[in-house]
Amino acid sequence: MDNLFRIIFNSLQTGSVYALAALGIVLIFRTSKTTNFAQGSIGTLNAYVAAILLSSWGWNIWLVAIISMITAFITGILIDTFIIRPAAKVSPISKQIITLGLIMVIVGIIPIIFGVDPLRLPRFIGSGAISVFGASLTYNTIFVVLLSLGLMGLIFWFIQFTKWGLAIRVTASNETTSKLMGVPTKTVTMMSWATAAMLGTLAALIVAPQASVNPNMLIDVQVSAFFAGVLGGFQTFLGPVLGAYIIAFSRNAAIFYISDIWGTVIVYMSILVFLYFKPFGLFGKKPVKKV
Amino acid sequence: MMEKLRGILLGFTRSLKRHPHIQFMVFGALLSIVAFLPHIGIMNFSTMSIIAYIVIYTVVALGMNILLGFSGLISLGTAGFIGAGALGIGVFLGLGLPFELAALLTVIIAGGIGALIGLFSLKVDGIYLAIATLFVGEILRQIYTQVAIFGGEGINIGGVKFLGLIELNQIRQWNRSYLFIILVIVMVIMMMVMHNIIKSRTGRALMAMSRSDSAAQAMGVSILKYRLTAFILATVFATIGGILYGIYFQQAPTRAWTLNISLIIIAMVVVGGFKSIYGTFLGAFVIHGIPNLWLKELFDDVSYIFSGILIIVVILFYPNGFVYVWVDIKKAYYKYKLKYAQKKKVTADEE
Repeated sequence: MDNLFRIIFNSLQTGSVYALAALGIVLIFRTSKTTNFAQGSIGTLNAYVAAILLSSWGWNIWLVAIISMITAFITGILIDTFIIRPAAKVSPISKQIITLGLIMVIVGIIPIIFGVDPLRLPRFIGSGAISVFGASLTYNTIFVVLLSLGLMGLIFWFIQFTKWGLAIRVTASNETTSKLMGVPTKTVTMMSWATAAMLGTLAALIVAPQASVNPNMLIDVQVSAFFAGVLGGFQTFLGPVLGAYIIAFSRNAAIFYISDIWGTVIVYMSILVFLYFKPFGLFGKKPVKKV
Repeated sequence: MMEKLRGILLGFTRSLKRHPHIQFMVFGALLSIVAFLPHIGIMNFSTMSIIAYIVIYTVVALGMNILLGFSGLISLGTAGFIGAGALGIGVFLGLGLPFELAALLTVIIAGGIGALIGLFSLKVDGIYLAIATLFVGEILRQIYTQVAIFGGEGINIGGVKFLGLIELNQIRQWNRSYLFIILVIVMVIMMMVMHNIIKSRTGRALMAMSRSDSAAQAMGVSILKYRLTAFILATVFATIGGILYGIYFQQAPTRAWTLNISLIIIAMVVVGGFKSIYGTFLGAFVIHGIPNLWLKELFDDVSYIFSGILIIVVILFYPNGFVYVWVDIKKAYYKYKLKYAQKKKVTADEE
């Protein structure tokens, strides 16, 4: 019993990380029509900002987290203005490759600005845990899960019930028409890049304490976020978030209960089989094709 | 005498234009000169290795071009299949099979997985298909690192015996040059194969499919058959690239085949030029060659940033591929020629 709860708590935390990254990817996919391979790298870059401030000036983790969020916001806007917007007429595949170029630039910049020594970031809440059915649940996990859920809830509310949210939804459904209707699609796209960068950075800040801050720390998160998007369906904003939690839980459970070597392979295989029967994910609908 | 020489030269270029296969062969012959340069001290052996990498990447990227350029499909699992080629040849050679049989078995197994992806692609579309292939790539990577037969970190292949007669080992310098020539020969053959495929009924069917599934189906193109063909071809090209990696570097790592490699292959097609065979080579050269040959020496640590910027800039200015820079140069030349002719005319009139 305590093992099951341990797995659930663990999956809640990793699931939140995947969900944050996946939500960012979907936001960009819907508004900019490109798969952002650089989501993880952008998060890593800003986690470095937090780590360097913390280690060189000894600032508080909360303060540096807020500062890194602000820099993430700026990074997102810069990337959209200088790279994505000039490439508006480029084909979707070429746009994806632009984000690959972005990864290379970021991975190249990191050692120059921040040095090659691995940096550390502490947890948001250093110590303290409660015991639930024999499994320990740290305050940090509770905080991280609540923060991510709260933040994602806020974003869903924003998308569903505000005027700007409406703008995001119409831009996602048809950019040209919404531009004709007077929706400021440029601002919408810019804001989605900024939001996605912030979500990625938060994911990076949550992952960082488990190991050191290094350029490759979000690769697994990035790949899993893509898988979550496919499992949940890229047409909805909610699907990928649920997909993220499902993937995190099923992977941990399969590794623990079935086999630590084949667990991941089994989960991936079953998702592929699932995709064969439901090609647009859990919540996705088949898009209407015009011939 | 000069007239005669010019006549021969003109005839030669004309026959080159008429027979693309001879063109490929001449290209290959020119490239194989590289194999001799290190021995006369013009080039380092490490430079030759970089060019060998470009040749290997070209073979893989040609397969990717069949998917991206001709069929409008995408695969993010290419790295897994390059790994399949390198590790597969390592395992089969380790079992004591002759090289030719080992290569054949590897290609058949990988082609089978490619056929499965092709079947899968009938149901799944767009980004879902792209990420489904990423699943395949990740599953393959997991298998490489976890199954004992692949030796954990990697396989040491050692010398490879060709045709049961000649054993070539990477350690000996001359053997390395011979291996390089083998790589170039295989690349030229793959270029010819690619040329024949795209100029045939299959190529036209693939192109019809990429524009519109429904229209192609209405014209009698079987979507099942040609999606399978496209994916099998792409995986076979990638696997052959992996086998070339195995025989040239004579070791096969298990952990290297990540998403980044697949993305780099796609980048080569995008940067080089969709639907262009020489463009694919150019793409491989721009993405792997320029950073490793020059940028690294010039900028050291900064080279990675420069290759990233290079990719972004080339895509922004040449969205159809860098190979079209040739068209621009031609245009500029004709413009200049025209201007020059006009100027000459004006001055002649004035006189």
